[in-house]
Amino acid sequence: MYKVIHHQTKTSLSGITRFRRFFSGHYTTENLRMLTSAMDKKFIPKITVFHCINAFSQTSWSSVDGSEFEIKFIKLPCSSMVKDVFLLRAFEAGADAVVVLVCPEGQCRYVEGNIRAKKRVAWVQNLLDDIGIDGRRLSLSNIAAGDTAEATQIIDDAVKNMAELGPNPAA
Amino acid sequence: MIVAEQKPLSEIKEIIAPYKKILILGCGTCVKTCFAGGEDEVAVLASALRLACKKDGKEIEIEKLTIERQCEDEFIRESAPAVSRSEGVLSLACGAGVQALARRFAKTPVLPGVNTTFIGVMESQGIFTEECSGCGNCRLDIFGGICPVTRCAKKLLNGPCGGSQNGKCEINPDTDCAWQLIIDRLKALGQMDNLRKYIPPKNWRTSLSGGPRKLVREDHII
Repeated sequence: MYKVIHHQTKTSLSGITRFRRFFSGHYTTENLRMLTSAMDKKFIPKITVFHCINAFSQTSWSSVDGSEFEIKFIKLPCSSMVKDVFLLRAFEAGADAVVVLVCPEGQCRYVEGNIRAKKRVAWVQNLLDDIGIDGRRLSLSNIAAGDTAEATQIIDDAVKNMAELGPNPAA
Repeated sequence: MIVAEQKPLSEIKEIIAPYKKILILGCGTCVKTCFAGGEDEVAVLASALRLACKKDGKEIEIEKLTIERQCEDEFIRESAPAVSRSEGVLSLACGAGVQALARRFAKTPVLPGVNTTFIGVMESQGIFTEECSGCGNCRLDIFGGICPVTRCAKKLLNGPCGGSQNGKCEINPDTDCAWQLIIDRLKALGQMDNLRKYIPPKNWRTSLSGGPRKLVREDHII
């Protein structure tokens, strides 16, 4: 498992400074609201990426967006090895989003593996909707072999979507 | 084989709602073939139910097991320890399997997880069609291996109704006309003379219409 946390640069007050300012009347109601929300646990999305080894290699990947998230890669000899239960188990294990990266249609070295993966992902998306945790958390994208930039963009987009969807309610 | 379809998740959730500890019991024969209740489907359903219950804040303990067939005591016996640990069994077998389990485990509720639909075959990958109604009096020898009792909308036994168009049934244009298929097959077999054989009105007493049936083979009873 790879844990990638990109820390945003910002100044933060020490606890003692906040304490002093609180009792000196420094904070307005609005400031207090912002302070308590900042002190709440920050949502760091957990993304699980299933990828075909022919389409993507995690060794060549690095996020450039700068947002904080945790990522786990699961490599497969072919995307057709993505079974419904693996996708669900990823959510059970705490993933907020699951991304499946497959070869472009017509370019699967095993002919139709990526099509099987597409059908299974669609099935599980409907199941996630039935469960109530939103099928948009699961996505499948076709990427050309070695197109790391595209893969990076797809993963970063998945992270951005988490701002709307929020944490996995079943995690 | 018996073709079945897994119930919608919402219905299954409602069925198992009273229980905190359930066994999802799969069957490795017919329902596995039609992707309704085999080992893979048991695993998916268990995962989906755990996610759904966690999301709803409900506690549930799910055990999974798949046996070869739920319609034979020899295999049902293997599930006894797991059944004894559960408050209820969610069976993914056909109706026969659910009832066989219920008969054996009288003190444990056995709940259906699939809707049993028909006796059929896998026509092509992922497509299952009804082929047999279990009428109890098979005359497929005359009909070239195509059953008009099941596949003809009007259950005609002595030739087509004449309403088909382009080989499709006039009742349902998505359905092939069974008699068109029968005639094509008999032509290929060189058995068109079968059409001259008169089939009298069907005696339905050998079918479910005559009540639940029982087959007794004395030669196998010790």
